[in-house]
Amino acid sequence: MKLQGLAVYGVDYLEVGTLHGVLLRSPVPAGKITRFDSSVAESIPGVRMVCSALDQLKFKAGWVLMDQSLFATGQVRYEGEPVAMVVADSREIAIAAVATLILEIEEWSPINLEESMTDRARLIHPEWESYLPTGGTDYPRHGNLASEMVADPGGVDAAFETAHQIIEDRFTANRQYQAYLEPKSALATYMNGRFTIHTSVQFPYNVRDRVAQLMGVRISDVRVIGHVIGGGFGGKLDASLEPLAAYAAKVTGRPVKLTNSREEDMLTCPSRENAIVSMRTAVDSTGKMIARDVQVEMDNGAYSTEMPWLTSLPLHIVSAIYNVDGPTRVVSRLWYTNTAPTGAFRGVGGTYLYHALERHTDSIANAIGQDRRAFRLERLIKDGAKSLSGQVLHEAGILSEAFQAMEKIAPWSSILSELKPNQGIGIVSGVWMTNPMPAQVTIKVNEDGTVQVVTAATENGSGALSMGVTQIVAEEMGINPRNVSISMPDTDVSGYDAGSQGSRTTHVVGRAAKDAATLAKAQLLKGASDILEADIDDLEIVNGNIRVVGSPAPAVTVAQVATSLLWSVGPLTTTSSYMTPAPAYDVACGSGVMFTAMATPTYHVHLAVVEVDEVTGCIRVIRYIVVQEVGRAINPVGIRGQIQGGVTQGIGLALYESLRIGVDCRYVERSLEAYRLPIALDIPDVEFVILEHPDTAGPFGARGVAEPPIVFVAAAIANAVSHALGSSFNDMPITPEAVLASLASRGV
Amino acid sequence: MKNTSFQLNGKTCSVSIDPVTTVLEVVRRHLGLLGTKEGCNEGECGACTVLLDGQPIDSCLYPIGACEGRQITTIEGLGKPDSLTPIQSAMLETGGVQCGFCTPGIVMTLTALLLQNPEPTRFQVKDALSGNLCRCTGYSQVVEACMMVARDSEGKI
Repeated sequence: MKLQGLAVYGVDYLEVGTLHGVLLRSPVPAGKITRFDSSVAESIPGVRMVCSALDQLKFKAGWVLMDQSLFATGQVRYEGEPVAMVVADSREIAIAAVATLILEIEEWSPINLEESMTDRARLIHPEWESYLPTGGTDYPRHGNLASEMVADPGGVDAAFETAHQIIEDRFTANRQYQAYLEPKSALATYMNGRFTIHTSVQFPYNVRDRVAQLMGVRISDVRVIGHVIGGGFGGKLDASLEPLAAYAAKVTGRPVKLTNSREEDMLTCPSRENAIVSMRTAVDSTGKMIARDVQVEMDNGAYSTEMPWLTSLPLHIVSAIYNVDGPTRVVSRLWYTNTAPTGAFRGVGGTYLYHALERHTDSIANAIGQDRRAFRLERLIKDGAKSLSGQVLHEAGILSEAFQAMEKIAPWSSILSELKPNQGIGIVSGVWMTNPMPAQVTIKVNEDGTVQVVTAATENGSGALSMGVTQIVAEEMGINPRNVSISMPDTDVSGYDAGSQGSRTTHVVGRAAKDAATLAKAQLLKGASDILEADIDDLEIVNGNIRVVGSPAPAVTVAQVATSLLWSVGPLTTTSSYMTPAPAYDVACGSGVMFTAMATPTYHVHLAVVEVDEVTGCIRVIRYIVVQEVGRAINPVGIRGQIQGGVTQGIGLALYESLRIGVDCRYVERSLEAYRLPIALDIPDVEFVILEHPDTAGPFGARGVAEPPIVFVAAAIANAVSHALGSSFNDMPITPEAVLASLASRGV
Repeated sequence: MKNTSFQLNGKTCSVSIDPVTTVLEVVRRHLGLLGTKEGCNEGECGACTVLLDGQPIDSCLYPIGACEGRQITTIEGLGKPDSLTPIQSAMLETGGVQCGFCTPGIVMTLTALLLQNPEPTRFQVKDALSGNLCRCTGYSQVVEACMMVARDSEGKI
């Protein structure tokens, strides 16, 4: 369908009589709204409604903290923040009407991360204390400090006093924009106190919650219907235009649609946050790491999305993989700034955290004069290693296996010896997780023997549903995958699903699907055993036929049994729910630890070979190799797609994509012309090896696959470039300007 | 407003509209063909790619007024409802389609490439794709699909 242009994406969806909403967005990053006048707009023919904070309901909302309103209220906090909305018969009329709105703002000096970090800047949210946490439990935050995690086991400073050598590094990372090809949109209708939202989002149930919060209704008064998604990568996990469309639908009594232009989308998308990471490690005279001190400063933007939870992510990464024989202190802070709210992009902060860890590891290896791969192998964690949160990584020994697999396909010493003068090699490794959040799957067996899988899980294109879950159900039930259909999300119909994030769909939804399929199979076998007068244990289902094992004799089809059951006991429908049990951790490991463990961990090794063009400063990735633990490969073509796609996004992050915040707190890059996404010519064919150690809880042993390929790429490339040029590239992305500057200082 | 007549997917079509209106806008809003996508509206992403007299263009930048008497082909004009063209089948097989939003544009670009150059090199395929952004696949499987068609086609597309 996609190949023929027949798939209906969120942007394509329309209903009869749809009105169009266009937003007036703040042109400045910070200031007090002193005047708003919509009288001209209201009188334009075709304009149905004009609204702003002056009319809207005073409800607050948020995923973790309720600090957001429908419109900017009294003040604006970031460039692009919605201030008002015009709804009209056509988009053109709405755009023209928006241009007549009078908005006056007394500008304040906008606050960026550097200034917010001082903790002495103007309060971006003077009423921060009145904000309520969405989940009920508050966490460490005050003023512009949106969230803080401190893990200090003690003994760090003492260990540094005894150090033979102290290696210290500072890393910066710019924001990365998800840049899904389909801009955000939403269409809403309102009837009898209920809102229906049509949108293409990764997490329909979360969007439901946000709309309910902002409209001041129960969550069951909001229905979210999902359409085909043109990419998300984390940027479509939270609501954006939906609450605005909902409000407009309620006031006008008509369907209302809003669509972001690409510029709007870029300016307001919850991009991966910019961050500053400082790492210090004490090393003894034998080269053993004896203590580490890490500080992370993250940019929250003007409002909190899920970022407060992610403030604790550094705890799981900064000493994750290479043994530090002593204490690690981690202080991680999230700061409000007058910029667009930040959020999740595949891998979240893992990309810059592994970048920091692995650059720092190379730095230490170089400082003590040890080969970078040997340094890592010597200190690699093993089965049973404890993370800084106290989680036991039972299978960390897979890392060693992964390094060996990498060595087979890319022998380190021989590549090193064959490198040309302007080439470099980098190797990195790490642990990642599979998001554990809940899923529910219902299986209906139709009278024609086909199966309908009802789920609110979203197929974002990875194939987790269209290939993975489909195959899991077909395999379990003994039917042809072509006879398995998967529903689109509808929060009125399907049970809660935490959406496509953190590689959870194949593992969590797949598990719920498999369990439901097992129940359905049991009912089919029971029905068949009555019909065939055979023992249940002697029966099997093969290609839609239920028969006695190994016998070619009279069989009965799934269709026949399903029909027979319908008219004897009732329709054959089964349901199963699943959530990954939370791994045990040490509750005393720190304060403000909201992200507590890496559920269903997977292990990875990445290797990059790069070449530097000494004239242009451009970096070419000559070779990129991934070794990844997947548990069990359900669909190899799908796995390849996720690895190739994830690495490509990682290469973009490492070398091309730069979403910078200017001195005026406005984005410097504001279009796809300036924000340089990778094209086909930039990307090598990624080589990969998958390891399969089945996870006991996963469907057929599968673990999460899709998110981690991006996580380690910037780290591997930065290490390779630093090696090629003999200098440290600790800022992301590595620009040609930075490369040329480095070459110039080398006297080349 | 001006009358512009052109061939759309092999059928004569006529619109009475401001000639500056983009081909993308005409195709999606006025002719109801939603397969051609708007990704950026500034000629950067290629999701809006259609063929004009067999050449790929960014329909978001091209005025309909300049299409008088010419042939426009959109994704809906390729193959038949029940059958995919060779490049479409190949992309399905190699895994070159994930979210699919860039897919119509990429199919148009590769269709045009294969018509002009039935046996392109990998570099030529990648070069032809310079105007098509894909955020999901990382391109390799898309390129492989094109190479597969080139190998199997023996000159027939």
